[in-house]
Amino acid sequence: MAVPLGAFIAVSAVLFFIGTAGVLVRRNAVVILMSVELMLNATNLALVAFSRRFASIDERGSVFVVFIFVVAAAEVAVGLAIILSAYRNRPTVDVDEIRQMKG
Amino acid sequence: MDIFGAAFFALLTIGTIGAGVGVVLANRITTSALLMAFTFLNVAGMFVLLGAETVAMFQVLIYVGAITVLILYGVMFTPQSPRPYGLFFQTQKYWAALFVVPIAIFVAVVAFEFRDSAAAGGSGGDLVPLATSIFGDFAFPFEVASVLLLAAMVGAIVLVKRDEE
Amino acid sequence: MPVGPFGIDPTIWAPLRLVIAVLLGVALVFNGALAQIYLERKIQAIIQDRLGPIHTGPWGLLQTFADAIKLLGKEDIRARLTDKWFFLAAPSIVFSPMLASYVVIPFAPDIVGADLSVGLLYLTTLGSMTVLGIVIAGWASNNKYSLIGGLRSAGQLISYEVPQILSLVTVVLVVGTLSMVGIAESQPGWQMNFLILPLAFVTYFIAGLAETNRNPFDLPEAESELVAGFLTEYSGMRWAIFFLAEYGEVTVVSAIVTTLWFGAWHGPFVEVFPLLGVLWFTLKTYFFVLVFMWIRATLPRLRIDQLMSLCWKVLIPLTLANLTITAVLLLAFPTTVVPVAIANWILLALFVLALPYFQRRRLVALRERLRTAAA
Repeated sequence: MAVPLGAFIAVSAVLFFIGTAGVLVRRNAVVILMSVELMLNATNLALVAFSRRFASIDERGSVFVVFIFVVAAAEVAVGLAIILSAYRNRPTVDVDEIRQMKG
Repeated sequence: MDIFGAAFFALLTIGTIGAGVGVVLANRITTSALLMAFTFLNVAGMFVLLGAETVAMFQVLIYVGAITVLILYGVMFTPQSPRPYGLFFQTQKYWAALFVVPIAIFVAVVAFEFRDSAAAGGSGGDLVPLATSIFGDFAFPFEVASVLLLAAMVGAIVLVKRDEE
Repeated sequence: MPVGPFGIDPTIWAPLRLVIAVLLGVALVFNGALAQIYLERKIQAIIQDRLGPIHTGPWGLLQTFADAIKLLGKEDIRARLTDKWFFLAAPSIVFSPMLASYVVIPFAPDIVGADLSVGLLYLTTLGSMTVLGIVIAGWASNNKYSLIGGLRSAGQLISYEVPQILSLVTVVLVVGTLSMVGIAESQPGWQMNFLILPLAFVTYFIAGLAETNRNPFDLPEAESELVAGFLTEYSGMRWAIFFLAEYGEVTVVSAIVTTLWFGAWHGPFVEVFPLLGVLWFTLKTYFFVLVFMWIRATLPRLRIDQLMSLCWKVLIPLTLANLTITAVLLLAFPTTVVPVAIANWILLALFVLALPYFQRRRLVALRERLRTAAA
């Protein structure tokens, strides 16, 4: 019994929502960035699963995944740079305390 | 011999979901970072199971080899005093659970509508079709992606530079 | 294939081949490490005009066994650590990718663990996973010097991955396949890729020296710097695992160089006796291991900023130029590789000749600056 496509999509969905919960719930900015990476991975998994299922028609899902790798890498770099410069102002990465732009 | 495929998939699923939950709930940031790397490895395993070996190699090379190291650098350069601070936003955790859990269950159940076996089409690995697609049909997005990487690199360096006055 | 190679039934040959390749890999790693530790001390001694180990066994051959017994008996010191599990896991994270690299190395025609169609990509991927282990080792030791050593080493390793991968891509452009067996088979007899792409060989060798933390790029683990860097808190067998990983990685890099540029198993009489390919492959690989040791005994160590500027300002533009010129020439002359070979040798000559010129200019500028500062 080969693994059904739906199983891969279900795993991808659960991982995506774990990442969403992480973004919504954690206070440390670096952990939020890690949860965003989890969401991107879940998306990659879904794309590759569909792309390989219909690979005789089109392989474009995997191409999109390569571009997502590129964008994720760029985003982590810039995100960490922002976190580090915010850390220099006040030595905290707690997003509850970095609220100078609020209100 | 197909029982190996299913068993391997079950193992990878437990690894992925378990490590994902660990990233969100772990007490220390470095544990979160390493569990995130473990999640990446498990997702790469799933790519191999689907027959997309090239994408799996890229996943390990980029995510485990580079992004995890970047995040570990970020973790080490932002040390927090180890006061006992709560994991959660104070008021937001219940709203988050209310939002996330039902939708997750709904999507996971609907996902099982796809009953055909994965990797049914295209058995020869994905290196050649992937390469011809990227450098053929998608040459322009490829160039734009390289400009994006250049901009991100320059931006990150500029943001982190100290003002040497 | 109804009849497999050596006349063995293919269904038995596939797992048997994997077992043979794994055993060969493990043998190369462990015996290779034993041999390399002894060779390193002897060769360094000979180059430095002294004798090296001569007491233990004839010509000091049993010295490595004596070292191993000593390391096994050492006390397992563990200072108050930040995290016990990370400290224990770090040597394994550094060692496992190196061991997994031996699966795709072609020892002889049809003696290869797994003929992956993306074999070369697999090797670069595993090379990038060791960085994680080093960062964890540096952090888990709860020691500022280890942390700085670990982060410096990680920075060096990820910087030098770029010229390494670009050099490999240049070879893949000429050969046309990522599979290691395919690359080895594309160099029959005397037509080694070294004659076509010598500049890629030189840049890959330099980047490989930096990737394996060998002299002149061994700042992170040098004994006189930073109290041995990220290895400070590791004693006994744990330290030995790091060093096994380093020697194994040196062997893997030498094996890649042999496969890509020097026609892996090709040599006299290898068509008649395919198993002789293992001998030629091992000889060629160990030749490059000896070159690694020779360089270690000869060149001084680079500082971290010199090392980084060498990578970003010299190697990356050079490899990028090499790749661009090779790609353009391959498109312009699709049937022959002679223009690529000519262009590569010219670039290599320019690189070698430009070095003293630029060094002289930098020396003059430095003297000017010192003179104006003293005045």
